[in-house]
Amino acid sequence: MHAPERLDGLRVVATPDALDHAWFEGDVIVFRIAHDEVIAFGAVVAEVPDEHAIVERETAFVGWGLSYAEFDELIARHVEWPLPVERPALAQGLAAGLPVKLWFDHDGVLLVVSSGFAHEVVDRFRLPAFAETVTKQVTRQVRA
Amino acid sequence: MRFALDDQPVDFVDGDSVAVAVVRSGQHPQHGGALCLTGDCGNCSADVDGVPFTRTCLTPARPGLRVRRHPAVGGPPLQLDPPKNPVQSPVHAGVEVHRRHVDVAVIGAGDSGTAEAARLRAAGREVLVLDSGDGDDVVGVYPGPLVVVRTPEHMLHVHAHEVVIATGAAEVHPVCEGNMLRGIVLAGAADLLRSKGVDLGTTVTVDIAELSRFEGTDGRVTGVVFSDGRSEACDTAIVTSRTKAPRDLLARMVSDPNVRVVGPAAQRFDLPPAPVDGFVCPCSKITVGDLQMVWDKGFQHLELVKRAALCGTGTCQGGVCMPHLRSFVSDKQGVEAAPFTGRPASRQLTIAEAAADVFLDPFRRSALHDEHLKLGAQMDRFGGWWRPWNYGDAMREYWAVREGVSLGDVSTLGKMIVTGPDVVEALERLYPTTIADIRPGRSRYVLLLNERGHLIDDGMVCRESDDRFVLTFTSGGAAFAEAWVRDWIDTWGLDVRIMDRTISHGAINVTGPLAGALLQRVGVAEPPKFLQHRHATVAGIDCHIMRLSFTGEASFELHHPVAHSVELWQALMKAGRDMNITPHGLQALFALRLEKGHVIVGMDTELDSTPRRLNMDWAVKMDKPDFIGRTALARTADLPDRRRLFGFTMDGPAPTEGAPIYVGERIVGHVASTFTSPILGKAVMLGWQKHEPWADTVTIDGRPATVAHTPFYDPEGARARA
Repeated sequence: MHAPERLDGLRVVATPDALDHAWFEGDVIVFRIAHDEVIAFGAVVAEVPDEHAIVERETAFVGWGLSYAEFDELIARHVEWPLPVERPALAQGLAAGLPVKLWFDHDGVLLVVSSGFAHEVVDRFRLPAFAETVTKQVTRQVRA
Repeated sequence: MRFALDDQPVDFVDGDSVAVAVVRSGQHPQHGGALCLTGDCGNCSADVDGVPFTRTCLTPARPGLRVRRHPAVGGPPLQLDPPKNPVQSPVHAGVEVHRRHVDVAVIGAGDSGTAEAARLRAAGREVLVLDSGDGDDVVGVYPGPLVVVRTPEHMLHVHAHEVVIATGAAEVHPVCEGNMLRGIVLAGAADLLRSKGVDLGTTVTVDIAELSRFEGTDGRVTGVVFSDGRSEACDTAIVTSRTKAPRDLLARMVSDPNVRVVGPAAQRFDLPPAPVDGFVCPCSKITVGDLQMVWDKGFQHLELVKRAALCGTGTCQGGVCMPHLRSFVSDKQGVEAAPFTGRPASRQLTIAEAAADVFLDPFRRSALHDEHLKLGAQMDRFGGWWRPWNYGDAMREYWAVREGVSLGDVSTLGKMIVTGPDVVEALERLYPTTIADIRPGRSRYVLLLNERGHLIDDGMVCRESDDRFVLTFTSGGAAFAEAWVRDWIDTWGLDVRIMDRTISHGAINVTGPLAGALLQRVGVAEPPKFLQHRHATVAGIDCHIMRLSFTGEASFELHHPVAHSVELWQALMKAGRDMNITPHGLQALFALRLEKGHVIVGMDTELDSTPRRLNMDWAVKMDKPDFIGRTALARTADLPDRRRLFGFTMDGPAPTEGAPIYVGERIVGHVASTFTSPILGKAVMLGWQKHEPWADTVTIDGRPATVAHTPFYDPEGARARA
């Protein structure tokens, strides 16, 4: 199990159609968190065909990379809703009372929360905390 | 093999339940009452290994078990260990919750449940069968449907597309004189005991319809008196009945189209004869006389009789009393009374079982949380966040703001970016303030009203360009405000993009007379003027600087990507070291803003506070064509309104917040916020008067207080603009 990493990227709000056709530079993973909003972790540049799109740097999330065995042991039993079976897939909702985003890919699960709840994740799921020495930006490039 | 009953050994054989072993030893798991040994009644419940109200008929006997009978009168003593930390979420309760998502859950593995499960499986459905005989004790069915199950190892939440309740029907218990004696068993229990080799001695079998009463000595049955007057002596009375009682408690808990009942649980059975004597509800020791008493007092409906007499509220939740209670009420009313509503849990749960996987609402930490702790902050919870209350000396923090420079962590403020072709139109409708005339680079204080014209939040509108704005909201109101803004813009069908930045941007308030000088040290050559804002690099970090003032002194909010909060905070603290820079917490902030008369929504305001009641009509432009709340404000503008928030001052120390405000002997309102202002040399307050005529002089805390204009401090606002 890995210590958490800060997940940097871009957050974009645009028309749904524009987001369907958005392009992000880099090795990114795109969370479509709403019909009109995405978070593209790992992205530094975005092209969005919407002149009114809002494109902002996003640094508010941290993630824990888990194997499926770790996920089943520590997280799954706190999730009340059906988990997706397709891969890759994004799911979001409450787990143990915390708003989480779960990215399921072929290798494992990325548990993502806003950094303000990182301490609660550590406590409620018994996951590793940030090391005291981690103060510099760590950019995680995640494969889609 | 033996276990302990009230610290005395009881022998048992393989396959015995605790109850069977106790009966075999010639005793009763309680102090009397008919036994069904099927889990339907509570007459065998006892404390098993420290867990009271455990049905011993469903508890396999094991060596070393410690069984204690409940007291004959009253309940078992509570066993409460106080939590080590009462504010900590019970995150590590001893009982886990496991979850399953299934197509169909069938509750009950009797004839009807088994048949239904087979039929469903044949139709290609995925079926999970839950039966207490297998250790799956269903304790509740909720809309969803959700089935909550207690297993020997953990709690199980079953999320099913469909739930089938096939719990069968129970034997009817006897209700008559002597029905709480020991040695009375239902027919099914007698069969079970005999199959286990228990010697029942001389037995008499009696049908409920022919039963008059039981006779006994020393608490044990010695004979049965039949309704035709004859009596028979016995060691054990076996009770049969031609009718049954549907086990429909789970079905009565939930109204969900995806929950259905099959088999005897759904069947209508004849009621037994109306009871005339004895204990109707053995769990709560409710007699027929008790029912008659509450009936005579006017509680003449089954649900009312239940509530008034507590009949059906005990261990078995109506398993024993329901048919008799219905018969009692039906006999009085002349029509058949329906069963009472069922509610979870159907079985007694431990606190750990009930609290399994229940969590307190989480509170966020700002990115500066550890910095605050290093500086000795006392953290507390406000508006969904952990925030510094003070850093050990609130007055030092206060003076740092008034005379020097201070930092405040305002990362918790709600923040939102809005853009789009219709953004001005949307904001004009959302806010009672004029938006269109805010020039790029300028900002304006705004109220957020609901349709009734009541204040629900406040904040700033910062215009960045013709079609891009940054909005701020209060910390506690941010989540609601976001939903409010999104819902209305969606309702109006306006073309607006909305991005919430509350968690994404940290914000540090640099405030005090030396705030501008500090910013110059960290690279902001020309800090923005009052109510202006702009983007700039501060200590190497991209910031959106907003000049405003909540403290009454020059204030610059530095909004920045949250990942750089610590870096920015440390740079500012370092740059201001020779200025004796001191961070301030909420305790000082509340005092500073009170001297300026600034209200805090939710602290000084009430749920129905209008701008007029808050003396904030200046923030409402009724000449705008429309905004949320305008119709209500226009309608009520000429109506009398007795409520008004006033500023007060008084000599001496500030009274307690919430203190009543008197005019003579009459309480006319209360104090919302108080502070003993060192710079003004008196106590300042905001408080409500709710009776006219409003008084200029009132009594608070036994001392005279005077209505005063706000701001109390720097009424011209020169310091904030400096």
